[in-house]
Amino acid sequence: MSGYKTRRGKDISFIIGITILTFLGILPLFHIIATVFINGVPIIAKKGISFLTNTLSNGGIGPAIAGTFILIFLSSLIGLPVALLVGIYAYEYPESKIGRATKTLLQIMLEFPTILVGVFVMSMIAIPMGTYSAIAGAFALAIILMPYVAVYTQEAMREIPFTYREASFGLGLSRVKVIFQILVPLSKRGILTGVLIGLAKVAGETAPLLFTVGGLYESYPASITEPVGAIPLLIYTLVQSPSKADHMMAWGASLILLLIFLLIFIPIRLKLREVRL
Amino acid sequence: MKEYAIETKDLKIYYGKKEVIKGINLRIPKNTIFTIMGPSGCGKSTLLRSFNRLLELNMDAKIEGEVLIFGKNIYGEDVDPISIRRKVGMVFQYPNPFPHLTLYDNIAIGLKLNNLVKSKEEMDKRVRWALEKASLWDEVKDRLYEYPASLSGGQKQRLVIARALALKPKILLMDEPTANVDPVGTKNIEKLLFELKKDYTIVLVTHEPAQAARTSDFVGFLYLGKLIEVGPTKYIFEKPKNELTEKYLTGSLV
Repeated sequence: MSGYKTRRGKDISFIIGITILTFLGILPLFHIIATVFINGVPIIAKKGISFLTNTLSNGGIGPAIAGTFILIFLSSLIGLPVALLVGIYAYEYPESKIGRATKTLLQIMLEFPTILVGVFVMSMIAIPMGTYSAIAGAFALAIILMPYVAVYTQEAMREIPFTYREASFGLGLSRVKVIFQILVPLSKRGILTGVLIGLAKVAGETAPLLFTVGGLYESYPASITEPVGAIPLLIYTLVQSPSKADHMMAWGASLILLLIFLLIFIPIRLKLREVRL
Repeated sequence: MKEYAIETKDLKIYYGKKEVIKGINLRIPKNTIFTIMGPSGCGKSTLLRSFNRLLELNMDAKIEGEVLIFGKNIYGEDVDPISIRRKVGMVFQYPNPFPHLTLYDNIAIGLKLNNLVKSKEEMDKRVRWALEKASLWDEVKDRLYEYPASLSGGQKQRLVIARALALKPKILLMDEPTANVDPVGTKNIEKLLFELKKDYTIVLVTHEPAQAARTSDFVGFLYLGKLIEVGPTKYIFEKPKNELTEKYLTGSLV
């Protein structure tokens, strides 16, 4: 009986131990969210809706919000089709030389220092164009977005049981139709998760924008070939300022960025119509 | 010379260097149920998948010899595997209706993506026809726009049979179609096989001798990639000529 008691004691202390460690592990997340809310809410409450629409000198971050959405949209437009095709390729030809190389390269791209992407796009697009621009920033973000969506696409498709693949080919369909009309729709939940995670990632990126978009906070962007702003970049700029008022604005912008991030991320948890196999 | 639904000539199949089907000569007459039985891992599913070139989805598989479908070698140079697969339908061991499509779309998708049906009326008709053929229409006619998750295993399997029939194949390959179906569902499917035999040639794979005895006209016993014995069901079960067949049927084959 004493053996049982000892084991039970060990068991309980183990569970208490990992519970505490888990809590410590995720504590920073709650701390960040709480701090951003505590510091961000007062400034937004004070300025009201104009905080979202006014230009910077009038106490708002409207152009930065617009810039962020433009950048998300453009980078999706450039990055998503490529990502989808790369992911499908890696799934369809996993044993080919290029297929294997693709998987390795995607892993590298996932972890690649994003500031180097910014430097690359600056030299390839911003300098030849002679100006910072939304399109340059969108290219940089698309390069960062691509591996996330590609890896999720490949993984989602790999999870489809082989029998559905056989069933599709068994109906006398060509490979293109099997992939795009049956297997991709069948794994759309996983693919969409990848898309949203990719978007959430690029919505918050700062480094790749430093040398590409320029920044625009006193007027709304008018053209994709001209400089734009972005919320993370604005936060970076405001925090460097010595003025306390600018710091307040940075907290407000942080809260908006957090909300946009959550807005993209929450649908991942709320299930899209779940496919039951 | 009599034309068979399926005829193989010295058919050999390799996975990499390993020979899994070792030179099979087989003739399957039209409008019969032909069962390939044998223990697990003897190559039944592999053999079956060579009859509609579905085996090619497996990159390692290599095929030698000939498979003639209604007299034509499907491994000939100018043969498009896609046209073979439309002619030779397949039902799988695991009931695999597409989970993201409604019952209606599960039947319609092959026709739609192959552009075989032009109008909505024609599609409605063909879907109903296929479901009736598969003896499923009465059970699902009021819920054609639901998803297959709401069906029982046996119903799913009949849905898949309807999906294959919709393309109007000549031959139906069935890879242990009742392995994942309860006894009532199994009975329904076996009853359906007798109906389908009138219009189709059915090749059934099973590891259950009892099912072979209940359903088929002819039986082939496959063991370690070799066809040990073939014949009318009655003869195989009553007086097997080969010792291995007898051992298998009495359950003493190790």
